[in-house]
Amino acid sequence: MADVAEQGQKPRDTGLAAPKPFSSAEDEIALRDTLKRCSPASVEAAVQFRKTNDANLVPSVVIGVIERFVEADIRPKLRHGDDELRLVEDLGVDSLTMMEIVILVEDVLQMQINNEELRNLRTVGDVKLFIDCKVRGLPLPKPTKHMPIEQIAAVMPIQPPFLFLNEASISSHAAQGKYKITGQEFFLQGHFKDNPVMPASMMLEALGQLGVLALIEGIIPAEAGRVVDPKTIFFTSCEGVRCHRVCKPGDVLTLSVKPKRAKMPLATFEGLIRVGQEKAAVAEEITLTFGYLEAVATPPAAETGVGALDAAAASAPASATGKASAGSPAVTPGQAAAFVQVGVMPA
Amino acid sequence: MPKVYLTGLGFITSIGNDVASVTRSLRELRHGIEVYAPFQKPEIPVKVAAPVKGFQTDSYDCEDWTYPERYRVKREILRGMGPNAFYAYCAMQQALEDAKLSEADWSNDDTGLYAASGGSPSLMGHMIQKMHAQGVMRCSPLGIVAGIAGTVNFNLVAHFKIKGASTGFSSACASSSHGAGFAYDEIALGRQKRMFVVGAEDGNVDSILPFAGMRALSLQTDPAKASRPFDVARDGFVGTGGATVLVLESEDEVARRGVKPYCELAGWGQASDGHNVAISHPEGLGMRAAMERALKAAKVSPAEVDHINAHATSTPIGDLSEAKALRAIFGPSGAKPLVSSTKALTGHGLSLAGAMETGFCALALREGFIPGSAHITQLDPACADLNIPLVTQDKQANVVLNNSSGFGGANVCLVLKKA
Repeated sequence: MADVAEQGQKPRDTGLAAPKPFSSAEDEIALRDTLKRCSPASVEAAVQFRKTNDANLVPSVVIGVIERFVEADIRPKLRHGDDELRLVEDLGVDSLTMMEIVILVEDVLQMQINNEELRNLRTVGDVKLFIDCKVRGLPLPKPTKHMPIEQIAAVMPIQPPFLFLNEASISSHAAQGKYKITGQEFFLQGHFKDNPVMPASMMLEALGQLGVLALIEGIIPAEAGRVVDPKTIFFTSCEGVRCHRVCKPGDVLTLSVKPKRAKMPLATFEGLIRVGQEKAAVAEEITLTFGYLEAVATPPAAETGVGALDAAAASAPASATGKASAGSPAVTPGQAAAFVQVGVMPA
Repeated sequence: MPKVYLTGLGFITSIGNDVASVTRSLRELRHGIEVYAPFQKPEIPVKVAAPVKGFQTDSYDCEDWTYPERYRVKREILRGMGPNAFYAYCAMQQALEDAKLSEADWSNDDTGLYAASGGSPSLMGHMIQKMHAQGVMRCSPLGIVAGIAGTVNFNLVAHFKIKGASTGFSSACASSSHGAGFAYDEIALGRQKRMFVVGAEDGNVDSILPFAGMRALSLQTDPAKASRPFDVARDGFVGTGGATVLVLESEDEVARRGVKPYCELAGWGQASDGHNVAISHPEGLGMRAAMERALKAAKVSPAEVDHINAHATSTPIGDLSEAKALRAIFGPSGAKPLVSSTKALTGHGLSLAGAMETGFCALALREGFIPGSAHITQLDPACADLNIPLVTQDKQANVVLNNSSGFGGANVCLVLKKA
């Protein structure tokens, strides 16, 4: 996680003092008392951290502190280790509870966190990454950007009714999105008769769209002075797709993608869709092609509304979408060579 | 002007945590004073207090508190409260139930809440001490909300979703009587249909012992002798805490809901001594003026008054000052209302006192008794002409006055009538 941060930002002063080791048995007793409502494992991790300064212990401490402040019925969620859990929406952590968490973390890990830094922490993953960077003295991650549907639609080349993101958050290491299946989607007509089910290809399309958004928002550090051109992003391949759950109207898909490799013109993500805590679909690799603003010729005007899967469909008519794009944009030979048929399971 | 009725009560007090037990304690003159464990140190000359029972709230960490299961709340609610606000939260639940109110009745534009408390000195002190010792960023995020004087109204208005008028009152020991008076005005003037009046205090080491410095606390070690208003040997007041919630409603609301009120709040008056920051006017001028204004506002003559729940805290100066005010009002007409002070049973609840004792008066009016003035072994000759009952009277009063007096010579008198 820290690698992405390192790519994205220059090192800066984190304001972190080296943790003060225990000077007496009273210090350890005081620390244990401070953490008296945290799990025994997190207390032990904190004690060991103060003795060894081993940064690998930090996630256990942080999760233990968060766990102590959330309601008992929510704690099992945290134990599953899902970094995409949102502090407010999923864990019920309001801004005041966040302050309590911060104060306790500051106490235990002997660090300082300022208000500006605090505002950027929206998910458990954000918190873990942030604290990890602090403890290791690494540059802090880029703040998570939260985007409502209006903001997403304003930057995406893909538009309704083919836009399957209601909201998204983009951090330096991952992107998360939500999509609620309303039941009114055009593709549900006939898929299937009297049994509306979101096609797996559309679920992959949604993941691909989140990847597109992540690229547009700069999840991959661009060359100096250049930005990713939204009009150049197309789907090229998908590997290791497994569907675990049928998704139907009323389900809220939690989509997440994390970059695995990126070097212009290809960016590869791993993708996951959950419904609640249930895994719905996994894609080990989703690869998109992209170009920078100056490097790519202006594509034809008819591309508005072209989905991320459409490029693949254009070059591979037998793709799982069964859908051809009416205006496939020009691509470079290198990009075209990278296109492969989408490997989705039958929906 | 529309009449104002008292339709619900909630109590967390040293003499009971519900209407039934408080009524029994008042009728049987059972006090709530005890040798208070946190005072039992050689350097503390004060030994007794009247703590609430069934609650253990001494820890600075609210998650350490123990209290009756029926009031179980989430940490996120508790964390913004000192003991006083939590007592008030509990008393509020009782009052809502007692008045038979639904959430639609209380969470609307026509329902407000006035509260009084001195804040939570213990939490405030703890936070400030921590701030100085560990730095400003180590203050609990809600420490200030839990500590300052408005904590009761902040918490109750937020947690019970109150939409109407709300504010806090800070006139020391007259605070919640001021709250009741202005709540009466809100309803009588047609601004609100319903008002909650709340008085609440911590009643612990940090809220009580600072009064030792002004030599205002009783040094008695026998709980049964420590608080004895009008007794010649009285030597100061006994500290207490807890909360009381009064539900006041317009006569239209009472009729609409078909509830039987405890009593009518018929009017009120206030006046200031303009004399001393901490000592009552020796002739009771402010208290006298407050009573005169209250009687006038309620259109009641002194001769119609049956009982007065005096402010009388059991301090040598304050009780005499009030006695003079009473003599000035009732003497000329030859009226001899019964005068007693329930602080003999509860001690003095500071901001809580006005609401708590108004609640006591309401119980006595509905149940048809007048609490005696307990613990008097030798009546102060200076009060001998007052009609002070030593035991509870089985007598139905029609008009009752409740007096309160605070620092700075702030005096409030509330007039209650049988409904």
